[in-house]
Amino acid sequence: MSAPAPSAATAPAKVPRRSLARVFWRSLFLQASWNRRGMQNLGFAYAIDPALRALYAEPARREEALRRHLGFFNSHPYMAAAIVGGAIHHEERVASGVEPARGPLTYKQTLQGPLAAIGDGFFWTALRPFFGALAALGALLFGAAAIVVVLVAYNAVHFVFRAGLFLAGYRQGDRLVATIARLSLPVAADRLRAAGAGLCGAAAAVFLFRAGAASGPVAAALAALAAGAGYVALARGARLLPTAYVATLVGVGAAFLLGHLHGSS
Amino acid sequence: MGYLVLGLVAGLAAVERKGFLQGMLSRPIALAPLAGWALGDAAGGLLLAPPLELFWLGAVNLGAALPVHEALGTAAITGGAVLAGRALGVPVSPEIAVLAVLVAAPVALLGRKADRLVEGWNERIALHAEAALAGHHVREAVRCNLYGLAAPFAIAAVLAPLAAAVAAAVIPLLLRAAPGAAGPLRVGFFALAGLACAAGAKALRARAAPRWFFATFAGCAVALLVLGRLR
Repeated sequence: MSAPAPSAATAPAKVPRRSLARVFWRSLFLQASWNRRGMQNLGFAYAIDPALRALYAEPARREEALRRHLGFFNSHPYMAAAIVGGAIHHEERVASGVEPARGPLTYKQTLQGPLAAIGDGFFWTALRPFFGALAALGALLFGAAAIVVVLVAYNAVHFVFRAGLFLAGYRQGDRLVATIARLSLPVAADRLRAAGAGLCGAAAAVFLFRAGAASGPVAAALAALAAGAGYVALARGARLLPTAYVATLVGVGAAFLLGHLHGSS
Repeated sequence: MGYLVLGLVAGLAAVERKGFLQGMLSRPIALAPLAGWALGDAAGGLLLAPPLELFWLGAVNLGAALPVHEALGTAAITGGAVLAGRALGVPVSPEIAVLAVLVAAPVALLGRKADRLVEGWNERIALHAEAALAGHHVREAVRCNLYGLAAPFAIAAVLAPLAAAVAAAVIPLLLRAAPGAAGPLRVGFFALAGLACAAGAKALRARAAPRWFFATFAGCAVALLVLGRLR
């Protein structure tokens, strides 16, 4: 469907704040029906529907708009908030008649890949593992309270990003790219990964210490060996679960043998 | 009753893991203590949480690639450990925990296979949504998205208690048959925990990861040793 001719007398279409809030809430369900055909297409259509309802009173136009958003879409679920916001920005322009109906689609298609790469690299392989390692070390040192604190902190960061990206996409449209570039997420990701690896090392030291306290120096030595040799094996391509069985059974077997020798001497 | 609670916790975690929010609530570090608490042994869940989180730190959903189902694995392991402990009349200990990992961890691989089936199922939902829109049933087309939450919930709600039941049956048998194995199994738990830390560092995929991992490992080990001696 082509956009109606722009008219100076027509007030620009705007999505009410309440509908924007509903869209943001629904965007949390983006991957509910992830499928190989359209990937996050159902989630995107579900999320943007309240905005389309606000913009298109005419059922035929709303249906046409919804069909646009049932097409293929896939991005990082946090970063997708920016695209959902930006798509509403473009739908407002389509509804106002200043942009062709293809505008929101072009916007989505242009941004979904790059934002997926940035989101995967920052959130999934840096920020979340960093907080996971921090929570694990915190739990070892301070107990359950540390887990709660770290999870609250992670979700504060997560929601600030997600809501901020949604609003930035909605307000800035195509200028969103410059805003995201200013965040320098790849640089921050590198630092978080290195710090996360350090946290894993600290956790290994705590386990080593606890092993020594619970079962003696042999247990501590075996835990250290599992950490060191395990890293080397995994770095050389060993599969995780079989390596875990080997490490555990070697630990059990060595402790059994040493206990046996100690008992018989 | 314990299995029903475990099924509910595992199902909700499976939904949070991909379909809704993704705020780390289904990660092992949150799920293990939660499942332990729901089954009456929060401390047991807390014992398992750090090694399982580090072990599956690299289980992330990148693009169309599917990771192992760490939430399902965690729920099954924690459930199995707590229920085995209950059968033995003791709280979860390192020897019970390590046996629970050995028995129930493979269900995380099964969960990945189930995720593939769910994607196929969701394809049918997508086709249904397109047909609904073609038939001018806009509300139905939009609502279809939420139907996709049912299958991950159901699969985790069934598989986690099943795997936990196997662990809860096998672990007491093993520990009663070989009471002398408790000590070596405790050592096995710490070996597994050491490997989990290595797996976590490796999963971070940073060029500097080995340096940071081994340097902090050595530095903290020395610091803890000195502190321990001073005390």
